[in-house]
Amino acid sequence: MKEVIKVQAIKKTYNAESIPVHALRGVDLSIQQGEFTALVGPSGSGKTTLLNIIGGLDAATEGSVLIDQQNISQLTDSQLIDFRKEHIGFVFQAYNLIPVLTAKENVEFVMLLQGKSQAERDARVKDLLGAVGLSEQIDRRPNQLSGGQQQRVAVARALASKPKFVLADEPTANLDSKSTADLLDIMAKLNREENITFLFSTHDQRVIDRAQRIVTLEDGAIISDEQNAIGS
Amino acid sequence: MIFKIAWRNIWRSKLRSFTVMGSVIIGVWSLSFMLAFFAGFIEAYVSSAIENDLSHIQLHHPDFKKDKEVQYRLKDIEAIEKQVTSLDAVKAYTVRSLNNGMLATATGSRGVQIRGVLPEKEAAITNLDQKITTGVYFDATQKRNPILVSKRLAEKLNLSLKSKVVLTFQQANGALTSAAFKIIGLYQTGNAIFENLNVYIRQEDLSRLMGETAMIHELALLLNKKDAIEATQHYLSQHNDSTQVLVENYQQISPDVNLYESQMSVATYIMIVIIMLALIFGIINTMLMAVLERTRELGMLMAVGMNRSKVFLMIILETILLGVIAAPIGLVLGFLTNAYFGSYGIDLSSYSEGMEKFGLSDVVYTHMQTADYLLIMIAVAITAILGALYPAFKAIRLKPVEAIRKI
Repeated sequence: MKEVIKVQAIKKTYNAESIPVHALRGVDLSIQQGEFTALVGPSGSGKTTLLNIIGGLDAATEGSVLIDQQNISQLTDSQLIDFRKEHIGFVFQAYNLIPVLTAKENVEFVMLLQGKSQAERDARVKDLLGAVGLSEQIDRRPNQLSGGQQQRVAVARALASKPKFVLADEPTANLDSKSTADLLDIMAKLNREENITFLFSTHDQRVIDRAQRIVTLEDGAIISDEQNAIGS
Repeated sequence: MIFKIAWRNIWRSKLRSFTVMGSVIIGVWSLSFMLAFFAGFIEAYVSSAIENDLSHIQLHHPDFKKDKEVQYRLKDIEAIEKQVTSLDAVKAYTVRSLNNGMLATATGSRGVQIRGVLPEKEAAITNLDQKITTGVYFDATQKRNPILVSKRLAEKLNLSLKSKVVLTFQQANGALTSAAFKIIGLYQTGNAIFENLNVYIRQEDLSRLMGETAMIHELALLLNKKDAIEATQHYLSQHNDSTQVLVENYQQISPDVNLYESQMSVATYIMIVIIMLALIFGIINTMLMAVLERTRELGMLMAVGMNRSKVFLMIILETILLGVIAAPIGLVLGFLTNAYFGSYGIDLSSYSEGMEKFGLSDVVYTHMQTADYLLIMIAVAITAILGALYPAFKAIRLKPVEAIRKI
């Protein structure tokens, strides 16, 4: 299998000058193409920080992150924005859709930034919203959708750019059981059928149960990394 | 898509957008009205000065300007009149004999400028016949020595119709002479300075009393169009001996008129800057609120790959759109207001006493050039962009990871 993400000796210290807080204390992690991985651990264990660093949203104090063998730690801010646009999909806990755009336009947005043609955009939007079960709601704006539906649009948006992997930070934290189950079904299906790599942080046992691989963080360090036989 | 997002964003908070648009509308409207009002004000002042006193062009002996002595007269007046009558641009002209003298009454005396005029020609150029509020204008039936004084001067000197006054002035040979005149009419021009100083008598009376005929000190021209002033002035200067004839336009004759006209453009720019400054701070405040409220959303946009220049453009575009909607409304309101007051005028009669002292009439007709509307549009566009710059910079300085965390 191909290694998509390689995290090497990542350390992250906040307030290094005054009262240092060590969010990550030397993390090594390798994610292969097609893996469905849950990053678990108590609050403050460093899950979100690690996801942000892998996603190029935050810089590590030490260590490096290689995406498809490219060291993103060396990229400038504007290069990182372009890199994220082309290679990384994001799903946020609070959905973070653009409120003034419809579901279709939200999914289309990243492809527009990539300069994709109208035909290509239309086809992909149709496929993706179909895959997340929202073919009927494409013209609705986020405030006309339930939380679960909004998060499914967010998943479709994350996949629109054909990223190398999708990072999801607590994607089910704001969802009820039914919506959580639906979302996990969709993510697992995309992972299984289209070999899409998912890395998500979660507290939610229902999500952890569905992961194929469970990486546990505590106090900024990985304390276990195991395969989950019953996942997905 | 950026345009679409920007357009929809401005309707997210309708109250806020309407507040910005309202301030732009009021700013543009008040600016166009104020500019038109001041332009009308100046125009009225200049027109009044041209009509009552200056005309468009005047010819004098070059030394008359320095010392208003009677010997500094226009010598070959027939030749000059011939030139003037040959010009198509000339609407009317008149010649005047001028003499500084003393007007004495039973109760007091006062220094005046005696204007010896040709009644018909004077009426054609200054409408003096229509400015008689009491009594009559000169006509052929009157006997010797009729005089017109202003109503204002008459009140000051306690004079009325048929009162006798004595004028004392210099003759052509330098000797002083006095003669009694009877008031046949009181005139009113609305310009207090002019009214306090000038009395009108017939040229024939003045010439006779001065002991010489056709002693002309001034030739005043009224043109069909203001645009023809430069060419006419140039023509008359070229065709006359500059040591004998000085040709001046109204701005040269009266520097205060020139000052008013030139200061108008300065005042225009100052007003634009003041109103636009107030507008800039309003826009900065509102757009900054819009940016701060959307911190998380802007962070997300940058997280998913929208580069900073596009975020910057989006914020600028939102502000420009608000301006593009509001400015034309303000301009239309301004245009309608100016059209209304341009036809009916603004009655400032309650302040007219003070205004007349400055030679201003009490009704101001608003008046604005098309170019000034364009100037306002450009000023609003620049204001909108300047007002949006700080919020837009604030937006692109956000760090996605911190912005997304904001609740």
